[in-house]
Amino acid sequence: MMSSTNNIGLEEILSSLNQLFEGVSTEKVDPRQYKIITPPEKTIPVLEFLKEKGYSHLSILTCIDWIAEKKFELVYILFNWGTGVTFVVSTYVNRDNPIFYTVKHIWPTAEYYERDVHEFFGVKFEGNENCEKPLILELWNDLPPLRKDFDPLEYSKKHYPDREYQKDAIHEARIIRGDVRGEIDG
Amino acid sequence: MSNRGNVKIDERTVWEKIADQLRSRSMWMLHYCTGCGAVELPPSMTSRFDLERFGIGPMATPRQADIFLITGYLSVKTLRRVIYTYEKMPDPKYVIGFGSCTINGGIYYDSYATINRLDYYIPVDLYIAGCMPRPEAIFEAFTKLMEMIRKGEANGWKRYKENYEWYKQNQLRSLGEVIIHDEFHE
Repeated sequence: MMSSTNNIGLEEILSSLNQLFEGVSTEKVDPRQYKIITPPEKTIPVLEFLKEKGYSHLSILTCIDWIAEKKFELVYILFNWGTGVTFVVSTYVNRDNPIFYTVKHIWPTAEYYERDVHEFFGVKFEGNENCEKPLILELWNDLPPLRKDFDPLEYSKKHYPDREYQKDAIHEARIIRGDVRGEIDG
Repeated sequence: MSNRGNVKIDERTVWEKIADQLRSRSMWMLHYCTGCGAVELPPSMTSRFDLERFGIGPMATPRQADIFLITGYLSVKTLRRVIYTYEKMPDPKYVIGFGSCTINGGIYYDSYATINRLDYYIPVDLYIAGCMPRPEAIFEAFTKLMEMIRKGEANGWKRYKENYEWYKQNQLRSLGEVIIHDEFHE
């Protein structure tokens, strides 16, 4: 389906990305998917450049918590409706004081993605004045819940009481399966 | 809990007994779906299983509904709407907890966003176990509920009135605030 002219266009984009922006690395994931890792200060120019080249659809803006590296990875997925090629543009921001810049002026829909990322990871987006407004969670008063250091089980136990059972069904199932020795009562 | 105070909630007058016979044969189910269990309802309502032969049909507004099905996992955000909807329904009203998530949290037992036990917040007349219960199990539950209504055992709505403070206290414990704030409607 993809014509050869489109492939040439793709190679041109990839080579001019390397020429125009310093420190940008590109990686081929699939013939129709490329990952571009950019330094934080180059991300928005790269996104603007790609939008001009036909990658006009921001499929999603999301975040990954790399707790060991103390970094948040912000991921912008761009899609080209003409060629069906996807670019995954990502950048790393500091985990301790996560601040990045908004892309609301490029894609107005990004406002909601940014609010979502702020709510679930705590990343602030400068320039998006609604960034700190709650979007999905209501009356949240704990760590942002998709951070790796947030313990959902502990939160669930604290806030939502469990049903109390007379007998421990899981323990009994283990006895039946032979994992542990013991007696089943009743 | 149900026998607190001197009021016996399973006592009925002759007229109530007659009314219950009639009520059990014509019930409207609120068309409100909270989780994945909702997928089992279209096959139950349509021609293969045909819910209407039991006198049960879907109803769009809580003001005219008798049965409230909580179909699957219930997030705290939805729980606010559920309580609001439940309190809007006229007496008598019956609640069926559908699937394992309403019983003990199911596979979402450790989620920060979903509750673990439905009868802690609103009275539940009947639970359907399973993940997911098939339409056969739904019919089993509906016939059982009809029997319970005829015998005067489905008295969750009376329990809610009697133990209103206990329920309110539990709701506030998990939700913080039951009132719904919504930026799109305020």
